[in-house]
Amino acid sequence: MQKLKKHLKKTPEIRGLSFQDMILRLSEFWARQGCVLALPYDLEVGAGTMTPDTFLRVLGEEPWRVAYVQPSRRPADGRYGENPNRLLKHTQMQVILKPPPENIQELYLKSLKVLGIDLRHHDIRFEEDNWEAPTLGAWGIGWQVMLDGLEITQFTYFQQCGGFDLEPISVELTYGLERIAAFLQELDNVYDVRWNNTTRYGDMRQEEERELSVYDFEAASPETCRALLDLYEGEASRLLESYDPASGARFPLRKAYDLCLKCSHLFNILDARGAISVTERVALIGRVRKLACEVARVFLDRKVVVVEVEPV
Amino acid sequence: MKPPRTQPLLIEVGCEEIPARFLMAAREDFWTAINQAMAAARLVPPGASPSLRFSTPRRLAVWFPAVLMKQGDLVDEVVGPPMRVAFDEKGKPTKAAKSFAQKNGVAVSSLTRVTTPKGEYLAVRKTIHGQTAQKLLPGLLAGAVTGLNFPKSMYWKAKTGPRFLRPIRWLLALLGEGKTARVIPFEIADVRAEAATYGHRVLGKGKVHVSGFMDYLNKLSAGGVHLDPVRRRGRVQEDLKVILKGSHSRPVADPWLVDWVVNSTEWPVGILGNFDSRFLRLPREILVTVMRDHQKYFAVEDRHGKLQPHFITFLNLDRDRKGIIREGHERVLAARFADAEFFWDSDQREFLASRQERLASVTYQAELGTYADKVSRMKSIAAEICGELERAQTFTAENSASVIRALELCKCDLTTQMVQEFTELQGIVGGLYAEAQGEPKDVCQAIYDHYRPEGPEDRSPRSRIGAVVSLADKLDSVVSGFAIGQEPTGSSDPFALRRQGNGIVKVLVEHALPLPLKVLIEHAVSCMNVEWKRPQHEVFGSLVAFFEERMKYYLESGRGLRYDTVRAVVAAGWENFTDVARRADALERIRNTENFAALSVAAKRIKNILEKSASAQDWQPGSVNPELLEAGPEEQLFEAHVAVADRARRFTEAGEYEKALETIADLRPLVDRFFDKVLVMAEDRALRENRLRLLGKLDILFSGIAHFAEIAGGPGDVDASTSQAVTSEE
Repeated sequence: MQKLKKHLKKTPEIRGLSFQDMILRLSEFWARQGCVLALPYDLEVGAGTMTPDTFLRVLGEEPWRVAYVQPSRRPADGRYGENPNRLLKHTQMQVILKPPPENIQELYLKSLKVLGIDLRHHDIRFEEDNWEAPTLGAWGIGWQVMLDGLEITQFTYFQQCGGFDLEPISVELTYGLERIAAFLQELDNVYDVRWNNTTRYGDMRQEEERELSVYDFEAASPETCRALLDLYEGEASRLLESYDPASGARFPLRKAYDLCLKCSHLFNILDARGAISVTERVALIGRVRKLACEVARVFLDRKVVVVEVEPV
Repeated sequence: MKPPRTQPLLIEVGCEEIPARFLMAAREDFWTAINQAMAAARLVPPGASPSLRFSTPRRLAVWFPAVLMKQGDLVDEVVGPPMRVAFDEKGKPTKAAKSFAQKNGVAVSSLTRVTTPKGEYLAVRKTIHGQTAQKLLPGLLAGAVTGLNFPKSMYWKAKTGPRFLRPIRWLLALLGEGKTARVIPFEIADVRAEAATYGHRVLGKGKVHVSGFMDYLNKLSAGGVHLDPVRRRGRVQEDLKVILKGSHSRPVADPWLVDWVVNSTEWPVGILGNFDSRFLRLPREILVTVMRDHQKYFAVEDRHGKLQPHFITFLNLDRDRKGIIREGHERVLAARFADAEFFWDSDQREFLASRQERLASVTYQAELGTYADKVSRMKSIAAEICGELERAQTFTAENSASVIRALELCKCDLTTQMVQEFTELQGIVGGLYAEAQGEPKDVCQAIYDHYRPEGPEDRSPRSRIGAVVSLADKLDSVVSGFAIGQEPTGSSDPFALRRQGNGIVKVLVEHALPLPLKVLIEHAVSCMNVEWKRPQHEVFGSLVAFFEERMKYYLESGRGLRYDTVRAVVAAGWENFTDVARRADALERIRNTENFAALSVAAKRIKNILEKSASAQDWQPGSVNPELLEAGPEEQLFEAHVAVADRARRFTEAGEYEKALETIADLRPLVDRFFDKVLVMAEDRALRENRLRLLGKLDILFSGIAHFAEIAGGPGDVDASTSQAVTSEE
């Protein structure tokens, strides 16, 4: 071990922050901006946006600042751990600021500085890219942030979530950590990224990538996935239909949302499996969105009820 | 000293990055809105130099060299009762005069009188004193900014608050220059106007004070901003030239990309990057798509148009100090090319031909089955079309075989990774793979071209084989879409069938295919193995109406013909698109000649006379009796008509429509003379009917190639290149 460290120290090629140092520095930076450092969500999600810390908290009026790392799964992007740039499960650093401060772009650029990116030596661009999550009834206006031609962040002013216009709006920053790490470390292959000084990204994740790819592309049974989707959807609908404003805080809203997330992930697996036709796709997205929008509706409704019930 | 009557005015709206595709329109709209508001507020001095407009992704700016510091006074004149009512014989004001004065809040003595064509009236003149610019401008400027409409806007404060392309972060509004300069105080979404701007994000020094227009330009220039897009364009074009100077290469010309760079940078600087020349084994189409569409790089080619392993990208920065920006771009491009290379190689492991089976699991539309179903319908339609073309001797059996082969393969690229990644390359990838896999050249080209034309600017397929494949594809999409009730209505066109219809018309005309529309529709309808939502004959009728609209759209928008030219030609029959287009082109060329314009007026007159007389049962069509013709203008017209009709018929049969129309137009002096000298509605019934029959003959002549009577007005008074009746594309 000692020997290895020495070896690494001597090697002049080591450049840029390690993967874990990036996480630490970004966490620290955003914590200083008043963000709660939340934990990654413990269910499969396609993006940090889908966790309750974003999806639910951007609804309603209360100010909210949060930052968290979120492993995000996109089955269709799986490449069996063989493609140097593509991952089935990648890591997002998700930041939500509600309402967005006026200097939000400057803050974001400062966060790049703590990663060691000197903007005098790099070309940073905000290129139009309006984000949309049809399964969540959510969309926003924003940019993809390009660093020397590489997309490193999605920067979005949310306008709608769960089918509701937002007021105040939130800004969402989603950093693609693997890409930024490979960029900082000047590597062509994400699996070569140093996680820390002794462990590579590949050591941590390559086998998992292969296994997940095998399941999502080959081993998954479309019939079972469909049946599960129906079951989860049924359970979520049953809960949501039973919602009674009088039940107040006892209503298991977050569980209904978890079930909705399960549906979303199963949809993604079926999609990766090539088991969904174009029109069926639209119908399935509609089903998941219906659940998500209903969750948002109950969330907002219950807030009003809870506020009314609580003594002032 | 008297203060100056006018002062310059500078306004800048500072934003977060405005999308490149909206910037030019945003600048124009902002400039127009401010100018309209200034004119309406009477703040622009007569003869003032026009205002200037500028834009960068982070700002919209307008500068007025001179605006009035104060509006001119307005005199409002209210007219009251007539003088004879307002004063009695003794010259004393009557009750009418007094109440008029009272109503306007003035004494009778200060009333005045005005003379109108109707006589003298009592009146009151009120002077409305002009307001100062300082007072008017805050509301005016705020209104001009927040009143703009954008195709895609957002709110960032309250939902009911202002909407803009991206959040507004600063406002600069300065009336006057130097020491006399004053900020126009106004506010949008908590941002207050100031005498300050911001330079470039990295090259600038944050907020800088501005004392006037020259100061503004200097500070921005020093702060890394070329304010004027014209200047940035100049820089971009200069760099594109200079970077490759001395080499034998040049950037691939790309006006769209130049615009994009101009509208997405404040300080564009071009740099040259390289990529591994091994990627040059990939087709140019793929390399250029990755560079241009995905990375916004200019591709580089040699003098013979062969792609070179370089690219040019534009920074929004003064320079690439350590070359690390270039390295970054090179790494990104290499990764993207490596992806494309991987797709290219792994896709080739399975021939297109053997991918046909897989189309059975790719859904086209739920109600229309899979792509395998679509291809089978397309093949039946194409077989019918080929049959027609072979009968017309414009197609050989080999041609038909190529069409069928191309159809079998044309959708197979949908199953490739390349098309799944670069969807804009569908068809093109199929053509390239077919070529790499040794399919005949005409088949490859037809596959490559079969989505064409994709818009009014796009070309039709290069070959007739490609044209037929394209037709079969589009006809299937349109007819099957109609069959399941998805035809376009009003603004709704869920399957974008209008665009497909436009493509069909364009292909038929540009390839001069001798295929009458109804025959095509009949064939396509007979090939639909789908569940019909409506009776077939009804759908047939809707399809005919749909194509009539598409054809008019094509003639007006695609060929730029005037709407009444189109109407006149269509009225004379439009079964064969190629023929309609030829007739329309000929008519458009000749319609403004003196003879023709006059003739179209006469044609209208003839139509009116005949219609009236027909309802009065004055005549029945039949041959003209030469015995009854009056010597002179009538006889001459008849004789000339017989000769002209014969010549025109021969030209028409030969397809020489312009000559035919010229021949007919030569009748004009005789027609005019006839109307001058001869009374059509003669007392004598036989004489009258004979004359009407002569006009009937002329009417037939004036309606064969086009209905002349449909031509609006004479030369010069028509400026109608569009008609409301024709639905535009999407």
